[in-house]
Formats: sequence, structure tokens, C-alpha cells
Amino acid sequence: MNFTINMSKRIKNIIAVLYPLYFGSRYLKGKRWILYSVICISIITAGTRLLIPVLIGDAVSSVQSLNFKRLEYFAILILFISAISGFFQFFVNYGSQYISQLYAYGMRNNIFEHLMKKKFLFFENQTSGDLLSRSTMDVEGTRVFIMNATNQLLPTLFMILFSLIFLFILDPLYALIFLVTVPVLILIGVTFQRKQRVHWRRIRSYYGNMNEELQENIVGNRVVRGFSIEGEETTKFNSTTKSYFDEYMIVARIRGFHNNLMPLTISIAATAILLYGGYVSIINASQVGNLVAAVNIFSIMTFPISSLGRLIVFSENARASIQRINMVLSDEMQEDIQSTRRSKHSGDLLINNISFTRGKRQIFSGVNLRISQGEIVGITGKTASGKSAFVNLLPRFYEPDTGSILIGGRDVSSIPLSELRRTIALVPQEITLLSGTILENITLSDTSLSLEAVVKAARIAVIDKFIESLPDKYDTRVGERGITLSGGQRQRVAIARAIVSEPKILILDDATSSVDPETELEILKRIRKELSGTTVLIVTHRKSAIKFADRILRIQNGSVEDIFDLEEDLKGIVDGANLYRGGDENATQL
Amino acid sequence: MPHSYEEEEENFLRSEKSSKVFRRLVGEILSHRRDSGVLITAVIITAIAGTLYPLALGFAINGVINKNFTDLFIYSAAFLGFYIIQFFSNRIRTVSSTGVAQKTIKELRDRAFTSIQKVPVSFFGKVKTGYLISRITNDAETLSEFLTFQIPQVISGISTVIVSISIMFYLDFTLTLYALIVIPLLSGFTLSIQNKVRRNYLGTRRTIAAITGNLAENISGIRAIKSFNVEERMAMNFDKLNSDNFAANLKAARLSSFYGSIIRVIEATGIAIVLLAGAQQLFANAISIGILVTFVIYVQEFFDPVTQLSQLYNSYQSSMVGVTRIYGIIDSPSEESISRGSIKIEKFNESIRFENVSFSYGKTMALKNISIQINKGEKIGIVGHTGAGKTTFSNLLLKFFSPSSGRIYVDGKDLTDIETESYRKLIAPVLQEPFMFRGTILDNIRTFSPEASDEFIIGKAKEFGLYPLFENLESGLESEIGEMGRNLSEGQRQAISLLRAFIRNPEILIMDEPTSQIDPYSEKLIISSLGAFLKDKTLILITHRFSLISLVDRAVSFEEGQKVEEGSFSDLLKSNGVFRKMYNIQHNTDT
Repeated sequence: MNFTINMSKRIKNIIAVLYPLYFGSRYLKGKRWILYSVICISIITAGTRLLIPVLIGDAVSSVQSLNFKRLEYFAILILFISAISGFFQFFVNYGSQYISQLYAYGMRNNIFEHLMKKKFLFFENQTSGDLLSRSTMDVEGTRVFIMNATNQLLPTLFMILFSLIFLFILDPLYALIFLVTVPVLILIGVTFQRKQRVHWRRIRSYYGNMNEELQENIVGNRVVRGFSIEGEETTKFNSTTKSYFDEYMIVARIRGFHNNLMPLTISIAATAILLYGGYVSIINASQVGNLVAAVNIFSIMTFPISSLGRLIVFSENARASIQRINMVLSDEMQEDIQSTRRSKHSGDLLINNISFTRGKRQIFSGVNLRISQGEIVGITGKTASGKSAFVNLLPRFYEPDTGSILIGGRDVSSIPLSELRRTIALVPQEITLLSGTILENITLSDTSLSLEAVVKAARIAVIDKFIESLPDKYDTRVGERGITLSGGQRQRVAIARAIVSEPKILILDDATSSVDPETELEILKRIRKELSGTTVLIVTHRKSAIKFADRILRIQNGSVEDIFDLEEDLKGIVDGANLYRGGDENATQL
Repeated sequence: MPHSYEEEEENFLRSEKSSKVFRRLVGEILSHRRDSGVLITAVIITAIAGTLYPLALGFAINGVINKNFTDLFIYSAAFLGFYIIQFFSNRIRTVSSTGVAQKTIKELRDRAFTSIQKVPVSFFGKVKTGYLISRITNDAETLSEFLTFQIPQVISGISTVIVSISIMFYLDFTLTLYALIVIPLLSGFTLSIQNKVRRNYLGTRRTIAAITGNLAENISGIRAIKSFNVEERMAMNFDKLNSDNFAANLKAARLSSFYGSIIRVIEATGIAIVLLAGAQQLFANAISIGILVTFVIYVQEFFDPVTQLSQLYNSYQSSMVGVTRIYGIIDSPSEESISRGSIKIEKFNESIRFENVSFSYGKTMALKNISIQINKGEKIGIVGHTGAGKTTFSNLLLKFFSPSSGRIYVDGKDLTDIETESYRKLIAPVLQEPFMFRGTILDNIRTFSPEASDEFIIGKAKEFGLYPLFENLESGLESEIGEMGRNLSEGQRQAISLLRAFIRNPEILIMDEPTSQIDPYSEKLIISSLGAFLKDKTLILITHRFSLISLVDRAVSFEEGQKVEEGSFSDLLKSNGVFRKMYNIQHNTDT
């Protein structure tokens, strides 16, 4: 009873080796017939390849019987069969490459599309390196296996089958001897796979640690040096590389034993055939051709069989990769980005009784608020009070647990994202520009925008003079292969990018933190002048910016409230003791 | 214009550098004498045993033909014996090749890491983080395949060819010549396509690099993409790069598949020639049938290493490119070699003095002719607009950079002569961009002061008014902070950065915009608690905000890299300079 369960589990394990091939075949989009053709052709190549030792045996027999004509015939036949085999082998090799590359192509596109559809929250919980490795390394891991499965693993299995048939024709007992080795080979393969699995998992995780430690050390190099903890960091890194090394050595020892046991098994069987066949030939005075053919079949089989172990490792890695890929491909955390409607809603904002939690932490409860179109609202509050979370609710980067947000009288959850995000433009604090020109970055929302509109937006964001000072002006390349902009410059390009899309609601989420206060104030002034009718929300704790707003909201203890008298509110807590000694009365108006 | 990955790679492959790098690598591998000795021995034994077994087979067959049982048994035993020898030597080969490869890789990684700890800080301005990481992880990894499989394969292939040709010549000279007829054909064909192979290989590398770059950018820029709802357009761009890669790979695949097929036909030609020529020799009674069989197997075995050649070539190229880059990191000149300091200092006694210090990043002057004296126990503020040179000043003070001209003296000793480590022990910096390591908040503080207990840290957090900033976190100071501190707000990160410095209890505290992200309410609490802590300490505070100015005795204003004002708060406010102007902007608007 126990044995049967064990057996069925073992058989499942063996079949699972091929699972990545099945997985990949689902992404071939109408080209699956190529895969089936490659498999069929590989049966032919396996057959023709094994025919050659048989023919060599016949040739040897002709030599032995001194029949030169027959020898010539076999020699030409060998050449002919090899040509056929080579011809078909081309299709197997190319076909397997084609299939596997087609899979990689389709899968990468698929992953990319899924990534684009994921909610913003998804990216907050994933490290970018991890997402990147899923879309590149993991796709490559499965691809390599799919390729090797079609041009090595399956052909090897077919060759084993043909070996049995040919050996049976040569002498049934040869086939029987070979048959005995098959379960032994499978057993070795399965044990090998089971033993090394846990170590591969550890190797991958140490590799991940290595990556993380490096990243931290490099990005944080000033902190590391400033506090002179280079020694501790080096010790930590060396111990990670040591663990990595140790695991690799364990795998090597396991591989050294099992992987070489396979060809040894084959050669024991070959010796048995040599002894048995030789004995029978001597007794019966028969020709040695068959014996030569049989031993030759074994010698041909040794190489593919000894690479089975490596293929099992590939399969193991491919299955781990599939698990990681599936996480991206799952339908969880998706939002509907498809809609061609681009109309905009009014900038009236009504918030009804919203509550919001992140993790287990309640950030808002029962917030009610009305902001009318064209208002400029400053939002302030203590560090980590939820200012950023609040504004991220509006374009639905986050979603409230209860309550509703209405824009122009319509519930945001019923507005297609394409419309909602045209209506609201949110500029965050940390800006990544895409590689390309400054113009391409500013016209991200709509490539058909005129240069005039772009220049105007740049002027409002007080970045026009800087851009015009560059040799290529708006066609200056930024990012990977272009110039590097400072944090403040990037922030201002991002503000221009938002303004040019003519949103009804513009949210600056600490979007001028790296711009100096003077320029910041200038940007706000220009926004007020040029974008009248646009609702503007400014998240900041810079006093100069807060004071600029028509209305000030403070977020505190999960609620949002108006502050009517900022001076009163800030009294006694601002900007150092000297403020009241020599400040305001001498101030020049700007 | 920075060179892209692929340009660099192409240039490299065109140059002759790869053989030099290869020699250096081999030198390092051979320095593991025991391991590499064991490996080479194991590989050669395996190859010899592999070449001898066809001979045993041939003699066994002869035994059958001559009806000699004893020969059959002896040579069958020898046949199996050679396989058993191979089993053991191959086992050793597997373990020792992994050992040599992984040891080499570990050393390269460790050395690169150590080198990164020693390069001047300016190095990080020039080289991207992602670049460095992928050099040390990915590039080192490509070496694994090359050293574990390809190199032993080459040694084994060469020994197989040498041993088998010698045996063949020994057995029958004429037949060997026939067997070798296909060799020029084989090598001529292999060489003729090498150029194409290389070009195809570069094509695949270039296109995959484009894919990775595009993906990385889209993931980090996801917020803008979502904000403007341009997901589909980005997907179309990606599809184009992806198709290019598909096409490049297929092009390479066509060539390699063609190669594989032709090799097989050449192999069959070789066998046919040996059979026909062998038959002639046989009829002339020069050889026996057994020997003919041996020859046939030898010809087959020639081809195994040859079919691996094209793989070897790709693997060689990619690992040489990778290793060159790692060597590039390892060989980066260290800070010490630029400014070797040997004087150890244990205490800060008198003053820090800048004397006509200038500094430039490339062509742009960041600091011009600065002279400032900071005495022990003094609290000094450095103010100015963005880009005025404030942070450059702190970088020089922390010895991250050395002045382009002029001198910095600490207690009368030139800072470049002072041992960096001993100097930095006196200081605790609070940097503009607080950096977080993985782990809990407590871990992040303890990394810098390993002796501090949890209670001590919590006590200090309370003392400096920082504790309430973490109250909203589920587990307070024991919360996990995620990659780069992502689970925390900017203000919380700054608070941690402050706490790190305070707990170090340094003689000199250098703070660069330490509270820019902390709300004014909490900031007030921090300021009021600092008074007592700063007693007897030297404070250098860099800011363009005025909230912390009450802490300093004296302020210096910078404008465009120059010192423009110096004096007490009220002095500066009375004069009509930058200080006053900045002050006004921050306290008044004309709404």
C-alpha cells in the first residue's frame, strides 16, 4: 500500500521534470504545431542516429566475411543516413531554439503587460530588482529548459526507446540487459534531484542576500564611511560569499557522485553485453558485427545519458522560475487601464466619510471634506501623519476602505482610470525620468502636444531658462545615456509634465522639496496666475509654501481639519527663538 | 556621453585585451595550487581512461574473432576498469572544478567588495549602483559556467586528441592519416564561421541589454506611467525591443543549428573513410578487425569536443568581458593611494581650519577660496541656497573629497596626512539623504554602535523627542523597515539618521539638512532637547532653513561657492545680504 503511494509519487516527480515544457507550450499562440513537429522530427533523428552503430556493425561483419562490395554499400549507407540525420537535426536544433525564443518573447510581453496593469500598491510591496529578475532571469531559466527539453531531453528518451528496439533485433537478451539499467538510471536521477533541491534553494537565497548587501553598501557608502564601519561590512559580505561557496560545494559533491553513476551504469551493462555476446559468438562461431553494433549503441548513449543530470537541474530551476513568474501573471492587484476615453471631469472634490488602513494601521477614519474647483489648498501635518496617503486616494493609487470620493459629482470608482488620471495629475516627491529627450518626458501624457504648450508649461515650472541653456534645449537627452539632472531639476520637469496635460486637479505631493524656497514660491505664483480654474493641492511642511495657499488643511490623528489662522497655530513652535526678535517687522515684501 | 554596456563590450571584443585578461585569470586560478593540480590531474586521467577503453574493446573483439576466451575476459575487464577509473576521476573532476571555479569567483567578489570600501567617494558619482552590483553578481556568475564546465572540457578535449592520435599512430600509421583527413575540413569550416558567430552573439547581447534597460526604467517610472495612463504605449515600445531580441536570437540559432548538422555529416564522412581504408588495410593484413572498430570509435570521439567548441567561444567571450569589468573594479585606485594619511588622532583639541580651499567637480567650481576657522566647542551654521556649495563643504570636512587647492587643518595637522579612520571616529555625520539598511529600526542604529542595548536606544529616542515619530508604526522601534527604508516616511528616516549620530556621542557633529522632512512640531521638540547634548561638542550645521539656527553661535553664508557673510544671527539679519533675503522668503509671502 505504502509502496504504491510511494511509487505514484515518484512517477509524478519524474513527469514533473517535463512540466516547464507544458507550461511553455501554453504561450506559443497558434505556433504549437511547431513544437509538435519538432518532437516528431526528433523521433526521426533519434532513430537515424542509432541506425549508424547498427550499420557499422554490419560493415564490420562484411569486413569479417571479406565482402568488399557489401562494405562499400554500408559505408555509403552510413554517409547517406548521416546526411539525413544531419538534415533533420538542423530542424530539431533550430526548431527548439525557435520554440524557446518564441516562448521568451511571448512571456516577456505578457509579463510586461501584466506589470502595467498592476495596481500601484503592488509596486510598493515589491523590490524593483526582484521584478526585474522575474522578467529577465526567470524567463531565461524556463527558456533554457524548454530548449534543452526539445533538443536533448526528449531526443534522449526517444533514443533510449530506439536502443531497446535495435538491441532487441540484434539479440533479445541485449535488450533485456539494457532494460534493467533503465529503472536504475531513473532512480539515480530522482535521488539526485531530491538531494540537491534544498541546496539550490539556498544558493538562490544567498545570491539574493549578496545582491542586497551590495546594494545597501553602495547606495549607503557615505554612511558606511562616515561612521567607518567598512570592516564590519566586509566581514558580513565575506561570510555571505562563504555560505554561497559552501552550498555550491555540497551540490558539487552530490553531482559528482550521481551524475557519474549514470554512465557507469551504462558501461556495466555494455560490459555485460560484451561478455555475453563475445561468449555466444565464440561458441556459435557467429560474426562479431552484432556485438560491435550493440557495444557501439552503448557508447553513443553514454554522453546523452550523462547529461540527463544537468537537465534535471535545469528543470528544477525552471520550475522555481515558473512559480515566481506566476506571481506576476496572477490576476490579483490588477486595475483596468483600458479605455480610450480621455474626457475630463470638473475639479470639484467631495469626500464623504472615508476611512483608510494600511497594513493594520488605521490612517483615516470618517473624513469629510469639500474642495471647490479652482481652490489652492495647502495640506500639512506631522511626519507620517498620512498626507501622502490622502492625496494618493484621489487618482485611486490607493483605495479607501469605506466612504466615497466624488469628482465633479461622480464617484471616482465609477470613472474609468483613463479619464480619472487625465483629470488629476499627481507629482510625487521622488521623480524618475524616462530615458529620452526632455521634450519626450514632458509630453509623456500626449505625444501630439505642441512645442509651444511645452515651453509654456516649462515656464510655469520655472525650468524654461535652464532647458534653454542646454546645447540641445528641449531635445537634450536625459537618463541612462544622457545628462543627469539634479533632484530639483527633475522635480521641475515633472511639474511641467503634469501642467502640460492640463489637469483639472493638480496635486504637488512635496513635489518641490529639492527646489529652493525662492524658486518654489515663483512656481506657485505662476501656477496661480496661469492655471486659474485648476484645483491645486500642495502637500508640504514648508511654511512659505503653506502660507501661499488659499486654504490650509492639517492632517492629524486620522482626521483632516481646516486651519484658519496659521500664525496662531504655529505660534511658539516655528523656526527658532530668534524669529520674534528681529524677523517680521523688517521683512521686505517680495 | 557615457558609453553604453554594448558599446563597451564591442570595443573590448575588438581589442586584444581579452587574452591579457585571460592570462591574469589563469594565473589566479593556478595560484590555488592544490585544487588546480588535482583538477588537471583528474581531467587528464579521465581523458586517458576515456581514450583507452576503445582499445580494450578492440582487443576484446579480436579475442572473440580468435576464439580466445581469456583475451575476451581480460579485455572486457579492462574495458569496465577504464570506466570505473573514469567514474572516480570524474567525481574528483566535478568537485575540484566547482571548487576552483567557486573559489575564484568568491575571491573576485570579495576583492571587488573590499575595493569598493576603499575607492574615493567621487567614484560613486561616476559609476551607477546597478552597474556595480551586476558586475559583482552577474558577471562573476557567468564565470561559473566557463570555469566549471568549459575549461575542464578544453583540457580534456586536448588530452583526448593527443592520446588518441598517439595510440592511432602506434596501431597503424596509414589508417591514422586517413582518419585525420576530415580534421582540416572540420577546422576550416569552424574557423570560417567564427566571425559570423561573434557578430550574432553581440547582436543577442545588445538586444537583451536593451530589454533589461527598458524594463528597469519602466518599473522605476511606473508612477508617472500610471499617472498619465500611458501603459499601452509603453507596452508597444517594449514589444519592439522584444521583437528585435527574438530576431537576433533566431539569426544566431540558424547558424549554430547549421553548424551542428554539418559537423554530423563531416563525422559520418570520417567514419566512412576509415571503414573503406580500414578494409583495404585489413585485406593487406596490416590490421585486425578489433583495431578497425577502435578506429571507428576514435573518430566518433574526436567530434564530441568539437561540437562543444561554439559554446566554448560564447562562454569565453562573455566571461572575459565580465572578468575585465570586475578587474576594473578591483583595480580602481583606492582613496588611500590618493591621499595617504598616517597620523592617528584620538581627540579633537583645538580647531578645524580651512585655508583658501577650493574644490571642483570636473570643470565646475563648487567651492572657491574658502577660509574658515571652527574652534572646539563652537557651534557654527552654514547657510546658502541650493547649489551654493554647502554640501561640498561637508564632503570636504568628512574627508569624502580632498580639496583641489588649499588646505584643511585639524588641530594644526593637514587633514590629508591624518589617518581617515581615526579622524572619522571623532565625527558623527547626519547626511542629507538618510540611508537605511534592511532590518528593524533598532538594527539600523546598532549597526553603527554595536554596544548599544535596546533600552539604551529607546531611552535616547525619548530623550531627543524622536520617539513619538515612530509611535504610529505597528511595532515601534522594532518595526522592519523594508528595502531602503521604504516602509518609513522621509521624516522617520531622518529621525533614525539623527539618532544614529546622537548615540555615537561624537566630539564633532556634522549635520546636513537634518530635519528638512520633519514637521515643525516635532522639530521644535528635537531642538529643545539638543541644547544640553551639544554642550562641549562642536557642531557644524548645514542648512538652507532657519528652523535650527537658534542652535548656532555663528553663521556663514555661501553663495555660488564663495563665503559671502559671516557673523552672529542678528548681525547677519541686519546686513542686507543672502542671509536676510533667505530669511524673508521663508517667513513672508505676498499672497
